[in-house]
Amino acid sequence: MSSADVVVVGAGLAGLTAAIRLAEAGASVDVVARGHAATHWTAGGIDVAAPRGAETPAQGLKRLRSVPGHPYAVVGDDVPAALEWFRPTVAASGLEYIGDLSSPIRHVPTSIGATRPASIVPAAQAGALRPWSPDERLVICGFGGFKDFWADEIAASLSRADVWGSAAGSEGVRPSRVESVTVALPGTQGRHNLSALDIARLFDDPGTRKDAIAALASALNRAGARPGRVGLPAALGLDDHRAVITDVAAALDLDPFEIPLVPPSIPGLRLFGALRSALRAAGGRITVGEPVLSVERSDRRVTAISTSAAARQRTIRANAVVLATGGIAGGGLIGTAAGLVEPVLGLPAEAPPVNAWLSRTPFDPAGHPLELAGIRTDADLRPVFASGETVFENVVAAGSILAGQRYLAERCGDGVAIASGYRAAATLLGGSKASGERPRGKRREAAAGARA
Amino acid sequence: MSVRDIVAEAAVFPAFEVGLSADNCLKCNVCNTVCPVARVTDLFPGPKYVGPQAQRFRVGTLLSPSTPGSHVVSPDRTVDWCSGCGMCTNACPADVKIAEMNNRARAQMKSGHRPRLRDWLLGQTDFVGRMGVLTAPIANWSLRLRPFRVLIDWFIGIHRRAPLPAFATRTLRSRLAAERRRSGATLALPSSPEPPPERAVVLFHGCAANYYEPEVALAAIEVLERNGLATIVPEQVCCGLPMISNGLYAGARGRARTNLGVLAEYARRGYRIVGTSTSCTHTLKSEYREMLDLDDADARAVSDATWDICELLVELNDEGRLDTRFGSIEETLPYHAPCQLRSHGIGLPAMELFALVPGLSAVDLDHDCCGVAGTYGLKKEKYDIAMAVGAPLFARVQAAAEAGATRAVCDSETCRWQIAAATSTPVVHPVQVLAAAYAAADAADAASNSGLA
Repeated sequence: MSSADVVVVGAGLAGLTAAIRLAEAGASVDVVARGHAATHWTAGGIDVAAPRGAETPAQGLKRLRSVPGHPYAVVGDDVPAALEWFRPTVAASGLEYIGDLSSPIRHVPTSIGATRPASIVPAAQAGALRPWSPDERLVICGFGGFKDFWADEIAASLSRADVWGSAAGSEGVRPSRVESVTVALPGTQGRHNLSALDIARLFDDPGTRKDAIAALASALNRAGARPGRVGLPAALGLDDHRAVITDVAAALDLDPFEIPLVPPSIPGLRLFGALRSALRAAGGRITVGEPVLSVERSDRRVTAISTSAAARQRTIRANAVVLATGGIAGGGLIGTAAGLVEPVLGLPAEAPPVNAWLSRTPFDPAGHPLELAGIRTDADLRPVFASGETVFENVVAAGSILAGQRYLAERCGDGVAIASGYRAAATLLGGSKASGERPRGKRREAAAGARA
Repeated sequence: MSVRDIVAEAAVFPAFEVGLSADNCLKCNVCNTVCPVARVTDLFPGPKYVGPQAQRFRVGTLLSPSTPGSHVVSPDRTVDWCSGCGMCTNACPADVKIAEMNNRARAQMKSGHRPRLRDWLLGQTDFVGRMGVLTAPIANWSLRLRPFRVLIDWFIGIHRRAPLPAFATRTLRSRLAAERRRSGATLALPSSPEPPPERAVVLFHGCAANYYEPEVALAAIEVLERNGLATIVPEQVCCGLPMISNGLYAGARGRARTNLGVLAEYARRGYRIVGTSTSCTHTLKSEYREMLDLDDADARAVSDATWDICELLVELNDEGRLDTRFGSIEETLPYHAPCQLRSHGIGLPAMELFALVPGLSAVDLDHDCCGVAGTYGLKKEKYDIAMAVGAPLFARVQAAAEAGATRAVCDSETCRWQIAAATSTPVVHPVQVLAAAYAAADAADAASNSGLA
């Protein structure tokens, strides 16, 4: 049996944020996860808040903080500090983010030819955020044999004003013209099943990168053409992304930006990689692949977490637990005939009755009732019963498992994840918001005591 | 046969759990992002495509061999490029048993055909080992001869540069038997009367320790003895994993039954079964049940009783029973956690043990797979892939060597051989480091005693 000051369950944005913060503060941290998930699925940007009508994330945040029961009502204060911490943390791995809470929310193209609101994105996607000048064109550039990015269809769709949102008529919202081109990358002739990973690796390899960029330049650089930007599949390198995007920008007349793809998300993989590096650099440990099967508890404390192992369970003793297992999509909440269940700790899940799960209008702009389901916590993110009583003294919850958020309609998932992960760590390090209590003893000594 | 009948039969056939886990697949592609083989070659389309995606064509794998329809195989044969490292199963957020599914698919693809001589031979570890030890001087000399390796390459299909280990001049069993005979003990009875389960463990040494690296098992025996545990070394044969990896399930079942027949009795009497090979112990723990469908009381008893040596030592430490008076070893030690260790789901026990040794600074090299994956990287057509998979790891070992490290550490034998061959750096098992740390403690004691005298 090993032991840790804190076991973090879940290796998404929330869990990793909490884990890195704790490890940076000197706690011994074990992250356990049943598998990879949310970071590998999402676009890699940090969506803080973009409810309908909000013009900046700060405006959206302000609005969501006043929604009763919203996670931002609890952790809204932490968003600026969490973002300030996040930026240099991932920049250490060469991953830069552009935009902040006061940046305008803009419509950026997606790989199915729609647009989505965004304001804080990886540097490689930032080219899509700038307002469009009247003579500027957008070239959508696909790669031959790549099945997840159809340049002609994307361009055709983006040529329609209505995909650029309700403000499509306003100046600078959309390019004056959208064109498409498909480039055959060297060495991929005859391939018709290229994945984003194949392409990212082709750009990572210094040998093939040069030829690939030359192919891009010869297809895109036209003497005397109008200025503009080029949207490329978000697959411009994985491990050596920073060098790739620099080289691509230098070789093209058009200003390049990446358009996120269907999973696996390369920008998401870069983000996960940067966070994992930060965790390891801070001395934290991470094991992916084994779900939590059981926990040990005494009174109102969780004392150990056991994960699945070949032939037996692996038990890690812990002084505290961060639960960041995700929402319904991530498996942090499971639907059963009896209702919504939180499978790791058996926490009470706040959810509408089962017969309200079936909506007549599943894509109602106001949202689905089940979206709001999740774990209810106190001001320190400790899960509570419906009565408001704390379930476990040494457990905090973070991320999309928290009740009260509309992840899709409000576009608040990443902001909630980072801010709640940040706050979860602060609670365990003794910075209680509710009671102002200080930590009991020194964590290092407590850990040594647990091992002895 | 109706669909209903097929489903009814599938539900009681043990393969059900692995095969039908394909139903959980979200098509999220996470498995493809972690596959070390797909990372380096286009020949393998990735675990998702040959696994849960192709599974719909393999209704046969859900059925017992006598059922009509069980011969239906996937038209896609690229599953043979899977190395079986298991990274995909670990990464899957939806509990799809991808690597296991692919292994079964390979076995199904190969069943009914006579195996390739090379694949058959790679499964005959006891036969090859016995012959090799018998003729060790000549065998080792010829295995170092380039022309001989070229012939093996041409006629058998084992790559001429593949990391083949040198045979020991005596098997572990005969060395140990001779040693014990002197004190009146035997392999299976280390002391008289037979030590009770809390004073002894059963050693599953596997082929590597018996025929190639007896020093690893001897170090384990020493470390166990230091902690009050005698080792019982019963009759045993190859665990069968090389056959499982090559799709030769029938032969593997024979080996499994032989081992279970001996080990289950000990397991029931409360003895723990300990191995120094993470792949053998994982086979005893999981593969007899998951791959070979030997899910009976014997297999369950052995599975529950089996421990990796480092896993057991960490457990002893937890119970306060580990002798932690390690001597100082001033060394920076690059450590590779093999893919097979990750399949155990026990974290990195060797790293936890290294933290107990004064002066020792172990560095986890943090790479998924060395490439060799048992017998995969030995094969002529797969050698280059295996080397490319392990390349980042080799670079890290070499960098550590340039910074002054004289050796690296890894729990699994084929990985040790692969890393050593690729980097020209010796690679040892963690338990050898611990044995050295105990020896250092004894030496320090002796020095201080003689200083007093």
